[in-house]
Amino acid sequence: MRSAGTYISGIGHVVLIGWLISGWGFSSEPLPFEVAEVSVVSSEEFAAMVAATTPQPDAANPTAPAQPQIEDAPVPIEPETAPQVVPTPEPAVQPDADTPPPEAPEPPAPQSDVADVAPEPPKPPAVEAAPDVIESPRPQPRPAPRVAPVAVAPPAPEADVADIVRDAVVPDDSAAAEVVEPAQTPTAPEEAATEIVIEDATPSGAVTTSARPKTRPNRPAPAPPSETTSASDDAAVAAALAAALAATAPDLPAGPPMTGSETEGFRLAIGECWVVDTGGRSANVKVTVAFSLDRSGKVAGDVRQVTAEGGEQAAVDTAFRAARTAILRCGASGYDLPADKYDQWREVEITFDPSGMRLR
Amino acid sequence: MMKRFLIALVVLMLAGPVVAQSGPLRLTITDGVIEPLPFAVPSFEPENAEAAQVAADITRLVALDLSGTGLFREIPASAFISAHSSFAQTVAYPDWRAINAQAMISGAVTVSGNQLIVKFRLYDVFSGTEMGGGLQFAGTVDGWRRMAHKVADAAYRRITGEGGYFDSRIVFVSESGPKDNRQKRLAIMDFDGANMQFLTDSSALVLAPRFSPTGDRVLYTSFASGSPRINVLDVTSVGTRQLQTADGEMAFSPRFSRDGTQVIYSLANGGNTDIYRGDIASGASTRLTSAPSIETAPSLSPDGSQIVFESDRSGTQQMYIMSANGGDARRISFGDGRYATPVWSPRGDLIAFTKQNAGRFHIGVMRTDGSEERLLTSSFLDEGPTWSPNGRVIMFMRETQGAGGTSSLYSVDVSGRNLKPVPLPNGASDPSWGPLQP
Repeated sequence: MRSAGTYISGIGHVVLIGWLISGWGFSSEPLPFEVAEVSVVSSEEFAAMVAATTPQPDAANPTAPAQPQIEDAPVPIEPETAPQVVPTPEPAVQPDADTPPPEAPEPPAPQSDVADVAPEPPKPPAVEAAPDVIESPRPQPRPAPRVAPVAVAPPAPEADVADIVRDAVVPDDSAAAEVVEPAQTPTAPEEAATEIVIEDATPSGAVTTSARPKTRPNRPAPAPPSETTSASDDAAVAAALAAALAATAPDLPAGPPMTGSETEGFRLAIGECWVVDTGGRSANVKVTVAFSLDRSGKVAGDVRQVTAEGGEQAAVDTAFRAARTAILRCGASGYDLPADKYDQWREVEITFDPSGMRLR
Repeated sequence: MMKRFLIALVVLMLAGPVVAQSGPLRLTITDGVIEPLPFAVPSFEPENAEAAQVAADITRLVALDLSGTGLFREIPASAFISAHSSFAQTVAYPDWRAINAQAMISGAVTVSGNQLIVKFRLYDVFSGTEMGGGLQFAGTVDGWRRMAHKVADAAYRRITGEGGYFDSRIVFVSESGPKDNRQKRLAIMDFDGANMQFLTDSSALVLAPRFSPTGDRVLYTSFASGSPRINVLDVTSVGTRQLQTADGEMAFSPRFSRDGTQVIYSLANGGNTDIYRGDIASGASTRLTSAPSIETAPSLSPDGSQIVFESDRSGTQQMYIMSANGGDARRISFGDGRYATPVWSPRGDLIAFTKQNAGRFHIGVMRTDGSEERLLTSSFLDEGPTWSPNGRVIMFMRETQGAGGTSSLYSVDVSGRNLKPVPLPNGASDPSWGPLQP
């Protein structure tokens, strides 16, 4: 004799199994992750370049170095640039060799003593005893002149460095005689590492300590229901609905919305061309730019600066120029965007935030 | 009640994506790439026959200056599609975009007798605009290297938004001979090692030269009298004079104040070493520290209001900051090992130092509050950092191990990239980077 509970349990299991098989609600997209970058550049290349300019000092006795006179002025065809005449530096007055230098008086007592004891270092916030964590050595990244989110193996010796990868093409002897393929130099992307490697320092991304999770606080006793709470909930729900529906009204682009993978692909395409000078002051600037795209995915018109924060004007200008160059450079042949969703990406606003790449 | 909440939740979930995509498509990019910026320098146009060779030399040096920073990569002329052979020629931006040049420098050179005129323009290839106006420099043919450095400085400043450092000089100690009988002389050179000249002979041991803020004088420590004394050397005339100290006192580790009228230095007397400030003209001095420990290697902040120095008052060498008038000092270094030779960045935001830890020497930087310490180098012996005028590059001395070990100068970008030696014929140590020349 089966009870009602048995039927309910059976139906429930069937629904659960069906849900798991269909996989509704589960995303197969991998979780996003970030990679810290480091790299080092070999000095040998520069040494070879500069070796030719190294002078051979032949002065056995010291001589005063020559001070060539240089004045800079605007190119005559650019009258708006004011001439900047730099005066020749006057030679300093040479002290008389016979005149003894002035005697230094006895040093007076210091105005105030320096503390003998160094101030206490700032105390770290109280943290519960962390469990011992065994540091796991991280593979030593290969130094490369370019640092990018994805590591690229060194190109083949015969290959040219280029953004587009193509294999070597050589004449095919077995093909028909009238068709001759010209020999083509293979190309490969420039070698890149994911981190800056500093000499013999072994970078380790392993976590050395981790705080013990805090215990969950006791659940507070539930407040007794009241009529006023119910009324305020109703008002809040109504307000939220009104706001949400009102916001959809005016400038809603037509067509289906962009999917996460489409916007992520667009974002990565521009990021590949965004060159960040991590040691420069522009690395402190977060700049937002706006631009329009035509239906082929190419930039239409100018890239405009919307906002900028975190630096002096010269740094802001540099940060904006880097952002504009990234958009124009990687979009030269048009961005790969879904044509049926043109209304969604016709106008684009991008914030370039280098704070995560800044040197620390 | 619960039912209404669920209905509202469903409506909001449906409306959410629509609301998020209203207006322009908004994205945030946080991951860029770190790579040299490609640039092109077509050969500067010689405007007369006499200018052909110097035009070629200047073109090469401009390209070498920029690519030597590690921030730029020169595109070889063999890749050029467009021949930009005339200074007045219209720039064919699509041709330069096709080879991925982001900046293009065009120039022309004229020679008249010993007079040399160099003019140049800088173009932003992808926006199709000129960056700044054209500039012209006039000088002598002998000074062609400085003209090229001036052009490279201007291009660097326009592209990065920060000042350059190519037209600057470095004073250092030139070393020759074996370790047990090393000859040391003051020498001066361009930032790239060119035009090296001696400022003193090798009759007396010299140490720690330091440029004045205007680059016209050099302070250094001389052992000519048997004990260390501070000398002031005029770079133009190579004349020197000694700052007065009392008998039995040893003065060393000097640096100019920001206005060049005073010197801060260490004075050892009776077994105690403290930091003093002295007036160069009158010789009057003021004692700034009075602890029984060793205080030395003072360096002023760019605004002249604070001094960073090293002291062993805590038992090991650490770095401290105090007011330029003395007073209480606060310790800023708390890492493992010993910290020495602190130097305040011209930007004011960082302090470079030498660190010794676990048998290795490092050149590192940290914030002025002691945070964000980063080690840029590591070797058997790295020591004595000095900042480029724009606070972007650090030069230091590196010595190799063993009885036959030699010392040489290296430079490294503040990011830790682009570590490279300075090409010099002899050994070298104690570099001091001067300001941009006028």
